[in-house]
Amino acid sequence: MGEDKEINRRNFMSLATWAIGALIGAGLGIPAIAYIVGPALQRLEAQEWIRLGSAAKVELGTPTLFKTKIERKTGWIVNEDEITVYVLTEDGRDFVAMSNICTHLGCRIRWVADSGQFFCPCHNGVFDKDGGIVSGPVPRPLDRFELKVEDGQLYILGG
Amino acid sequence: MDEKDKQAYLERYEQEKKRGVPFFPDLIFKDAIVSLAIFFILLALAYFIGAPLEERADPADTTYTPRPEWYFLFLFQLLKYFPGQLEVIGVFVIPTVVLILLIALPFIDRHPRRHYRHRLGVAIVTSVGVIAVVGLTVLSIREAPPPAETAQGDQTAALYLENCAPCHGSAITVSPDTNLHALIAQGKHEDMPAWNADLTTDEIDSLVGFILSPGGSQLFTDNCGECHQAPELVAGDPIELKRALDLGPNYPTHTESGVPVWAEVLKPEERTALLNFLVAPDGQRLFAINCAPCHGQSVAISGGEPELRTIISQGGRHLEMPPWRDRLSTLELETLAKYVVDPTSVPEGDQLFGQYCSACHGERIPRADDFTQAQEIIASGGAHEVMPVWGEILTSEQLDALVGYTISAAQGLPVALGQQLYAQNCITCHGEFGEGGPNPARSGDIIPPISSAEYLNTRDDTTLRAILAQGQPNFGMSPFGAAYGGPLDDDEIDAIVLYLRSWEANPPVDLPPEVEVSALQIGGQEIYGNVCSQCHGEQGEGLIGPSLRASDFQTENTDQDIFDSINMGHPATMMIGWGEILTSEQIRQLVNYIRQFAEPESEVPGEIPSFANDVLPIFEAQCNLCHGTLGGWDGTSYDTVMNTGDHAPVVIPGDPEGSLLGQKLLGTHTEGTIMPPSGKMSEDLIAIILEWIAAGALDN
Amino acid sequence: MATRIGNWLDERFGWRRVWEVIFLRKVPKVNWLYTLGSATLFVGINQMVTGILLTIYYVPSPDQAYDSVQYITTQVPAGWLIRGLHHWGASAMIVLSVLHMLRVIFYGAYKYPREMTWITGIISGIIVIGFGFTGYLLPWDQKAFWATTVGTRIAEVTPIIGPWILRIMRGGEELTAVTLARFFGVHVWFLPATLAVLILIHLYLVVRIGISAVPKRGE
Repeated sequence: MGEDKEINRRNFMSLATWAIGALIGAGLGIPAIAYIVGPALQRLEAQEWIRLGSAAKVELGTPTLFKTKIERKTGWIVNEDEITVYVLTEDGRDFVAMSNICTHLGCRIRWVADSGQFFCPCHNGVFDKDGGIVSGPVPRPLDRFELKVEDGQLYILGG
Repeated sequence: MDEKDKQAYLERYEQEKKRGVPFFPDLIFKDAIVSLAIFFILLALAYFIGAPLEERADPADTTYTPRPEWYFLFLFQLLKYFPGQLEVIGVFVIPTVVLILLIALPFIDRHPRRHYRHRLGVAIVTSVGVIAVVGLTVLSIREAPPPAETAQGDQTAALYLENCAPCHGSAITVSPDTNLHALIAQGKHEDMPAWNADLTTDEIDSLVGFILSPGGSQLFTDNCGECHQAPELVAGDPIELKRALDLGPNYPTHTESGVPVWAEVLKPEERTALLNFLVAPDGQRLFAINCAPCHGQSVAISGGEPELRTIISQGGRHLEMPPWRDRLSTLELETLAKYVVDPTSVPEGDQLFGQYCSACHGERIPRADDFTQAQEIIASGGAHEVMPVWGEILTSEQLDALVGYTISAAQGLPVALGQQLYAQNCITCHGEFGEGGPNPARSGDIIPPISSAEYLNTRDDTTLRAILAQGQPNFGMSPFGAAYGGPLDDDEIDAIVLYLRSWEANPPVDLPPEVEVSALQIGGQEIYGNVCSQCHGEQGEGLIGPSLRASDFQTENTDQDIFDSINMGHPATMMIGWGEILTSEQIRQLVNYIRQFAEPESEVPGEIPSFANDVLPIFEAQCNLCHGTLGGWDGTSYDTVMNTGDHAPVVIPGDPEGSLLGQKLLGTHTEGTIMPPSGKMSEDLIAIILEWIAAGALDN
Repeated sequence: MATRIGNWLDERFGWRRVWEVIFLRKVPKVNWLYTLGSATLFVGINQMVTGILLTIYYVPSPDQAYDSVQYITTQVPAGWLIRGLHHWGASAMIVLSVLHMLRVIFYGAYKYPREMTWITGIISGIIVIGFGFTGYLLPWDQKAFWATTVGTRIAEVTPIIGPWILRIMRGGEELTAVTLARFFGVHVWFLPATLAVLILIHLYLVVRIGISAVPKRGE
């Protein structure tokens, strides 16, 4: 009788010990798997809206240079990329965002206020105010960004 | 403990084991339960408290109060009681002694008895040790300084410190009408780079705010920094910013963020400083952001500064626009409305607008979207304008800046200033339209046009600025930059460059028309005026030097005598030999000029080769078989001679040796072949062309 | 089938004998305080597992240490948990080691024939403190940096060889990337290897000699 009880007790303890072991093992193991596998399952970042600045800063009828930095993250390494965009508005409502990178060989164009044109210093590419080709070796008009205005802030789609 | 004791212990232990239990599962079960409990505790700690991570390590931060992990705290606390020389006791002696005691414990306490009652010494020492460690830890925690507030640094101040302070020190004094944003963005002096290459627009805005209101930057960090980054808000809409500050927790987006009533927290002057930081009192920027959307790039103002200040301050209230329907015909109203909606649709609207509207509205039109609306507004007049009452929004510093800028902007663009400066400083040598002319400072030199498309297209602004500032010592142009001892500061030089650039689109002259009128005479005259007249008088009447118009001078000296005098000078007098400075040609011109004093009617012998009669025929015969048909330089007309070619211009008036044309003919060129390719043409022909170039390469 | 495979394997490994010797041995009846040792062992295993997991993402360089720790804490699934367990496990390790030691002291368990068990235990305890000290720097946050700066400075007070110890600990005069790299190396290679050897000896002795019985009055 006492012997039986003793055996039952031992069986229970044995079972309980294994159960606890399994519980702790799972408690550590499952998070560990998630932890190891996790980053592999994360999606690549899609394009996102990048804030340029206040829409009020765009001077009417003059392409205004906006420069902003976006962070591209891989793991914990953050690469800071610079995005420079000319924003043009004729009426304060419709905005156009143009890349300041010459479509010819990727030099940075600049706005020459006196001539009212964009000028690329590398090979004398010239674009008009809207980014259209005026002269020089440029193959296509300036690239444009999709742009939206929210709460008086300009955003472009990029990434 | 001797062998007997050991034996006794082992026997006793064997009996204990016999009465004991199997290690598994009896003991392991208990271990498992305790381990599980500990695991749950660890899970709970990880979940509810987590592993702390402070700010990134900053070796430069000297304000941080370092504290070790809690289990070292007792040691940390212990050190406090051993200052100075005694530190070694706390750091080294005590831990070492404790460690030795612990390791040696079985050999110190060798008594066979094991129950603590029989080992009171060990029990007491251990207890004291435990109590001491716990006590020291508690003391250390209680004495701990309150955790330093994670004060967010003033980012803008840091930005300033990093970028501006190295040159400008801790603060910059700025004159009120400086266009600070533009200045920072575009750079100014040689050492001040164009910062828009490195900084974002927002960053420049916040820097401007910081420079004009450093206190405001700190206030921003303290009060707004928790939720806002400075660059987000700076140079934003002053109306909204003011509203947010006035309304405090009642401001729409602030209702749930628990902001205080700013009016109670901040003193009025602090609020002003904060607003000045956010919307910097930088007139150009204020205008560009707040006024330009309606008023364009500048407004025409007829009144003075006080009047303008009143208008801006009162905003829409000042507008007393008459109901135009009383004064204008329906047709005129319609035209105006159309013009306001789309200026290009009704050319005649321009005049109407200028007559009735521009006195208040300036050249730029307050653009209307909708024809009907525009018509209604024009017809009914009144205070329809949405111009805000800026006096209630802007701080006085901002108003000052805005008024200052508006006035200076109305006074004219730098181009106008550049024109004025050009007239004062450059016109003497370069002519009114930059057409050039004889170089008064250098013999035999004709200053080429600087307004030609070739000249301006082949020199960038930096070069022009450098030329203006440093002069062209080799060509007799003195430095104009203040840094080089000249009269003009950087802004003024920029203005001149701007003016020069204004020729680029539409060159006033392709060629110097004035020079067509015999350059020789002007040359001689100018040289005389600049050099000789100082001693011999404007009209040769004689001052320090003898009179040149005296009849005996004129009759006693042959041209050759005068030439020699100028060329060689007179030893032991102030008359130096000019031969080293002036060319023979110029001296001849001078001789001719001096002869005029006696015989004003005298004519200058036309011994310069004419382009049409002498030069062009040579080109026709020698060059144009290829040139003019095969591309490259084109020798068929004066214009093409001067302006075409892969290395245009090939002719530098006044400089035959420097002109590519001359080099190619003489064989002194550095590139390509001699011209004509068949071999040098005859010396006579070359001489004609060279002489023609030397005389200014005129279209004669 | 399972029994047959088990038998077949046992013929090669002989683990039933090992099992019997280690787990089925008889031990004196003891109280709950005797679980402290195995609790320490459990936390030690927890530290090992979570520590190994942390090295998957952690980078021991001043440029990236902080970012990688932040990445683990905020980006990696269950990263907060792994790091939390490791962080709090470190404290638990110290507490349990000390309690375990106090139990041994008060029960006189360090006495014959367990002197060597005691000594390996004390040395293990020192190593655990070494773990705490070196691991503290690794996140490279303010607290880590400055506590280690001060901690190494304290070592400098040691007579004669103090400045030398400081230089060895920091790998130079200043607390730099070199310091971080060597703290990392010591924390994940040097100390674990040493501790593993010591604990194996410690456990071998526990199994061989057996756990001490609770002393009765008069013993």
